[in-house]
Amino acid sequence: MQPMTPRRIAGVCAILGGALFVAMVVSLRLGAYPMSVTSVVTTLYHGAIGQMDRIPSDFRLVIFGIRLPRIAMGIVVGASLAVAGAGFQSLLRNPLADPYVLGVSTGAALGAIISLIVAPHVPLAMQIAAFAGAAATIAAVYFLGRRGGQLDSATLLLAGIISASFLSAVIMFLMTTLSGRDLRGMAFWLMGDLATPPQISISFLFVVMIAAVGAIYTTASDLNLILTGEQEARHLGVNVARVKIVVYLSASLLTGLAVSVSGAIGYVGLLVPHVMRMMFGSDYRVLIPASAFGGAIAIVLADTLARTVVAPTELPVGAMTAIVGAPVFIYLLRRRVR
Amino acid sequence: MNAHSTPVENAPRGGNPAAPASDVRLTVEQASYAYSVTDRGAPKFALGPVTFEARRREIVAILGPNASGKSTLLKLLAGLCKPLSGFVRVGDKEPSQLDPRERAQRIALVQQESALIFPLRVWEYVLQGRYPYGRRLRFESDEDCLMAENALSQVSASELRDRWMEQLSGGEKQRVILARALAQQPSLLLLDEPTQHLDIGGKVELLRRLRRLVDENRYTVVVVTHELNLAAEFSDRIVLLHRGKCEITGTPREVYHRDILEEVFNAPLDVEIRPGGKPRVLLRDANGRGERAE
Amino acid sequence: MSRRFHARQISFGTLMLAAILFAPPALLGRAATAESVRMTQVSAAAPAHSSRDSRIVVDETGRRVAVPADVRRIVSLAPNLTETIYALGAESRLAGDTDYCDVPPDARAKPHVGSPTSPSLEAIVGLKPDLVLASTSINRRETVDALEHLGVAVYSTDPHTIDGLLAGIEHLAGILGIAQQGNELVTSLQARLATIQTALAGQPHCRVLFVVWDDPLISIGPHTFIADALRRAGAESVVETTQDWPHVSLESIVHFQPDYLIFAGDHGDEIPQLSDLRARPVWRDLNAVKQGNVALMSGEVDRPSPGLIDAIENLAKQLHPSAFAHSAGSAR
Repeated sequence: MQPMTPRRIAGVCAILGGALFVAMVVSLRLGAYPMSVTSVVTTLYHGAIGQMDRIPSDFRLVIFGIRLPRIAMGIVVGASLAVAGAGFQSLLRNPLADPYVLGVSTGAALGAIISLIVAPHVPLAMQIAAFAGAAATIAAVYFLGRRGGQLDSATLLLAGIISASFLSAVIMFLMTTLSGRDLRGMAFWLMGDLATPPQISISFLFVVMIAAVGAIYTTASDLNLILTGEQEARHLGVNVARVKIVVYLSASLLTGLAVSVSGAIGYVGLLVPHVMRMMFGSDYRVLIPASAFGGAIAIVLADTLARTVVAPTELPVGAMTAIVGAPVFIYLLRRRVR
Repeated sequence: MNAHSTPVENAPRGGNPAAPASDVRLTVEQASYAYSVTDRGAPKFALGPVTFEARRREIVAILGPNASGKSTLLKLLAGLCKPLSGFVRVGDKEPSQLDPRERAQRIALVQQESALIFPLRVWEYVLQGRYPYGRRLRFESDEDCLMAENALSQVSASELRDRWMEQLSGGEKQRVILARALAQQPSLLLLDEPTQHLDIGGKVELLRRLRRLVDENRYTVVVVTHELNLAAEFSDRIVLLHRGKCEITGTPREVYHRDILEEVFNAPLDVEIRPGGKPRVLLRDANGRGERAE
Repeated sequence: MSRRFHARQISFGTLMLAAILFAPPALLGRAATAESVRMTQVSAAAPAHSSRDSRIVVDETGRRVAVPADVRRIVSLAPNLTETIYALGAESRLAGDTDYCDVPPDARAKPHVGSPTSPSLEAIVGLKPDLVLASTSINRRETVDALEHLGVAVYSTDPHTIDGLLAGIEHLAGILGIAQQGNELVTSLQARLATIQTALAGQPHCRVLFVVWDDPLISIGPHTFIADALRRAGAESVVETTQDWPHVSLESIVHFQPDYLIFAGDHGDEIPQLSDLRARPVWRDLNAVKQGNVALMSGEVDRPSPGLIDAIENLAKQLHPSAFAHSAGSAR
């Protein structure tokens, strides 16, 4: 019997943090502009100690202006989507739950698009509208997914798929009829794109993301119990209603954040928690930080692939996650059936 | 089956006023409850009033046909709803007034379990029973691990510790679920039809185990069940419900009378007293001779 | 371990988590403060420059762009602008273009930066351009925003009419320091347009349907430069709409019965032939198809560039052959 300890959690974070660091270095090294590892490291070093003048302007631009912001965005988006997926999987008691499958990402995208139509230059409007879209969608899917007052797995997934397709149709409708406006294009919203930096500061996104992940983390013990059944958890003293509100709102916030910045990216929220579970167990006290790191690593690597595979053309990052994610998903499905 | 030292067997219906008050774990006094499907409609279902007591080292069985209010009564005992009249007391507190965590430290409720969706080890599952004893985001202490170990050994499942929950057999799972409830260190253990999916061997084993737990570890157990004969064999008191009313409470000997049982269960039943004093319920055939009930 | 140490370990773990996750924005924070000083200047410029003077011009989308006095390296993000550069004779200064820039064929040999809609910012920066050219007809606003954010000067054109196109070419030539070439080019283009006007004087406009895509059927709105080009060629689109690229139902076309169907594309594109159309249901019943009135324009018409004038001439001759029969001598 080895109960979860903070030391174990710190250990897992250290391992994954190291892996994320390696992924970041790889991502910084690769790109259309050729740079050697030495140049990357020296540039980072000079930047870290504040001697920006000693870096050639090209290197400075490529590393600090293009690649690092992209990596930072990837970390925020990946961590947000993975933790949101882990939260949904526990509350909805469904291993296939994730923001994309449940249509929550698409709802967030629709919210963001509507805010672009109605209030294009208001700061933070997109983020707030995306959050609202995500929250409304999960509420709708939750209620549609009930059968006889109880959450039913199959019905829930159906509700999610139908919501996703309905919302995509609405998005396409808006895009087609409002073709004069600058709505960023369907490929961006429905397939994800990290190429262009967001209008709001990345540090702000980080803070919000950490706050939301932290909020979900406070319910980690509760989520462990809810995994064995809502009633059972209640009988053990868990305030299930409070946990639901905190997790649904935080997960919607995380999804809204990610989608407003990079469009809807699929498979991350679904697969990263599963892989982390296989490696580190189902205990949410370690699963939540592990998913955050895992999601960050996944998106950073996927984005690196997306911009180097057919350089200099850039593929949408959602296409990469789908291409890699679908076979991994099928493999996981088969393992479970065994 | 050893005879108890408590004078319960010869007590009049409704409880023994001579027993020391500290011995009484559960008091139900004229508790009633009603709910209706719509807010304005007449109550669709009403329960009570019900009165009985349960002491340490006692098993109380709640019997009755379907829709007689057994589950509702269990909810009242568990503090999941507040009685409309009368009161329910566990120790000196009313469970419905308690904070859920405090409640979980005193009362453990075992119902039909849901399917597990992610793999979980037995010890992780049992350790969850320690949840009520800590802050919100907690890490289990050595004491918690000890309690969990203890709970597993109480149900003779220590060797199952490192197995995966989904690999357990029905009986093993039943023991582990019981262990989690025991890890809560409850003074009152409530079980809602625990023998439903077990074969006869499993049923007997479960009730034997409950009896042993109650005798050795001084729990108080309330079981909702359909099993008339097993209840008679293993429990100290019976609460017989019929259409929401409490027909009779008392020892099995007092409660199992042919006319009462026939009326409540609407079946041709006969009661015979075995050597040792415990009653047995039989199905009556056309000739009036008894046949075994199972 | 007893509970006393838990708090310490939890905070340790949190700090590590926060440290790793905060490292990138911390680095970015330093970079951003250093970069902000150089924000409006062309920081990606090649080292030895004769003069670092730059002046502020306003491009066709209303942005203020700091253009250096001496523009030596140009990156074009749109095929029509690449074509214009070549037409102005400034191709030696073109440092890079997109994968789609293939007119004239020499443009394919230039270093590529990716697709017009999704170019690689790194590749652009790596070419050290003094000026990047973009067109609202094909490039995304986010790309231009991102390049501006990196301190790269981006000049965007926004062509809606032929006159606007020509004025834009002249203005661009002025910025590049080749005003004279620009003037010559525009004058000659305007002369050709005038010739067409004269030839078409008195002729009624042809009612046409311009097919951008046949399945789904997409046509053009009146405010696009294609619509303007059609008007110069003596044609008028039958589609009434406020959108720029409306999806049109086949039914409404049957209702309008245009005199001519116009398709556009280069030899590589798949354009339905008259024989294909004659075999398709509904299409084959259109008057235009029955009479064989299907005109084909080169892919130039999709590009607001000097080549567009060729396309206009070509179309005018197809639609109004009689008007040009006797003016063949003065056409070029």
